[in-house]
Amino acid sequence: MNFLSEYIYYIGAFSLIFIGLYIVLIKKNLIKVIIGLSIIDTGINLFLVSLGYITGGTAPIFSKSGLKSDNMVDPVPQALVLTAIVIGVAVLALALALAIKLYKHYGTLNLRKIKEQKW
Amino acid sequence: MVNPVLLIVIPLGLAFVVPLLGFISKKIGKFIPFIALLSNLIISLRLFPQVLEQPIHVNIGGFSPPFGINLVAGPVGILFSFLIALVGLLVSIYAFDYIKEKAQGKYHILYLLLLTGATGVVLTGDIFNLFVFFEILCISSYSLVAYFGDKAGVESAVKYLIQGALGSSFILIGIGLLYGQFGTLNMADIASKIHSIHSISIFVPLVLLITGFGVEAAIFPLNAWLPDAHSSAPSSISAILSGIAIEVGLYAMVRVVFTLFGASSILTFLLILGVITLLMGELCALSQENIKRMLAYSSIGQIGLIVFALSIGTSYGITGGLFQLVSHTLGKALLFLSAGYMIYRSGSMNISSFEGMGKKMPYTSLAFTIGAFSIVGLPPFIGFPGKFMIVKAALFKQEALFTILIVLVLLATIIEAAYFFRVVQVIYFKGEEGKLSQKRERAPISILIPLFIFVGIIVVIGIYPKLLTDVLDSSALELLNRADYIKSIIP
Repeated sequence: MNFLSEYIYYIGAFSLIFIGLYIVLIKKNLIKVIIGLSIIDTGINLFLVSLGYITGGTAPIFSKSGLKSDNMVDPVPQALVLTAIVIGVAVLALALALAIKLYKHYGTLNLRKIKEQKW
Repeated sequence: MVNPVLLIVIPLGLAFVVPLLGFISKKIGKFIPFIALLSNLIISLRLFPQVLEQPIHVNIGGFSPPFGINLVAGPVGILFSFLIALVGLLVSIYAFDYIKEKAQGKYHILYLLLLTGATGVVLTGDIFNLFVFFEILCISSYSLVAYFGDKAGVESAVKYLIQGALGSSFILIGIGLLYGQFGTLNMADIASKIHSIHSISIFVPLVLLITGFGVEAAIFPLNAWLPDAHSSAPSSISAILSGIAIEVGLYAMVRVVFTLFGASSILTFLLILGVITLLMGELCALSQENIKRMLAYSSIGQIGLIVFALSIGTSYGITGGLFQLVSHTLGKALLFLSAGYMIYRSGSMNISSFEGMGKKMPYTSLAFTIGAFSIVGLPPFIGFPGKFMIVKAALFKQEALFTILIVLVLLATIIEAAYFFRVVQVIYFKGEEGKLSQKRERAPISILIPLFIFVGIIVVIGIYPKLLTDVLDSSALELLNRADYIKSIIP
């Protein structure tokens, strides 16, 4: 039980990543694949934030008196996550725009049926 | 002293000036990439002599290395940024007349962003910053592949996007694992804390990073997107993707393997992967009827050869690999540009439609032929010294494995010669005399200038390889000498 409470964020993050990977690999519908990519992104963001998280910790503002160094949350992963979210949004928006275009050309979003470009 | 930051700032800033100038006149936009890349080329040239003596370090925002983001302009970084600026400049001249349809402004913004991302990747010294620039490169190339918005373009862009996004996710997980262990993002700082890759907690991020960058570098099992994306993009973009984007992916991978992890024990694995990539690319290229698809598969083969050369692991091997990289960038860009113009005129990508081009478009055909000969590795061109150095470096090792692999590499070169000579034969010797219209078509000057400059560089460096080898020697030293890299950043 102790193990679970200690690592629960990592377990959650990697479960999300693997669920997303499963969706991307198995699903045939392009929209579902894009949702899978988004779930992977969420999982990674959760993983990054939990790297620096301390239960009950606060922001490291050194000018505030009475703050102990072992009670501070690492701010770097949060900055990383902000950037990663922005990148994720850009990729997602582009993917959805391409999905609309693809539907106009083929009339379907089933990836098994869209194979004009043979390998 | 010129600040290397300008190499990133100028194209990035000018990229967002393009839409503003669009309010004044629609026609100015296409000159902005030209200006930005010309200034990049001049800055890189001016930095070269200083960098060969001592790498330049810039701390962004004034924070000293382990904390802030730093730029490292060593020989490798400046070599790549010079190459990016040179190819980008020539392709931007080519685009003056080539890009006429659709939203031109957006093309030029994305084009500049792509090259900004590429320059950023090769100059940065911070692993997360590298990821961000890498994403700028990837996102702009996804959208440029679909620039024409036709069936093939959109389909390949979707394929490219899904695989690229998965690769980027792996990179980010790898970076997260590294940060969790070492609490730092600076590459030199991480490298100074990694002594061996044989513990599982170091090996997993290494594998994730190699996989992630391998998608963009098109290493064998991860290259399903490349033939589609390179063949259905506009030809100017194919030249950039083939000449710059995959090389930058390769750079990131090499930097991670050599500098960040010092992982000399996985080089044998990469060696074999390189040869498989080479053979697979060349064999697929042999059976193609579509010219751009053939060139795309040939790029896969060349990347395999470069990976093979770099993972020989001796300084001579790395010099040869970098030489091959430069020659591939110049040769493949030339091939895509000249083939692109012939496709533009004949309206078909089929090789058989090139019949009689030697008479109709003599200059463009000549440029294509020289590019093809250079990629195959015939003597007076730049491809020859590169391949020669690789073979020599592999034979220096005097091990049975290397001898077997080099036989396979030479076999692949024969296959390469077979399909390139077939195209050259179709261009010059096929087609009945009477049936073809004898009217010569003069290509616009903006298309001929870049072709001739490429041909000039290919011939000059082919005759005097010494122009390049001095720079490449110090680049190889920078990649191999991990301790010096760390010490120069974190004293």
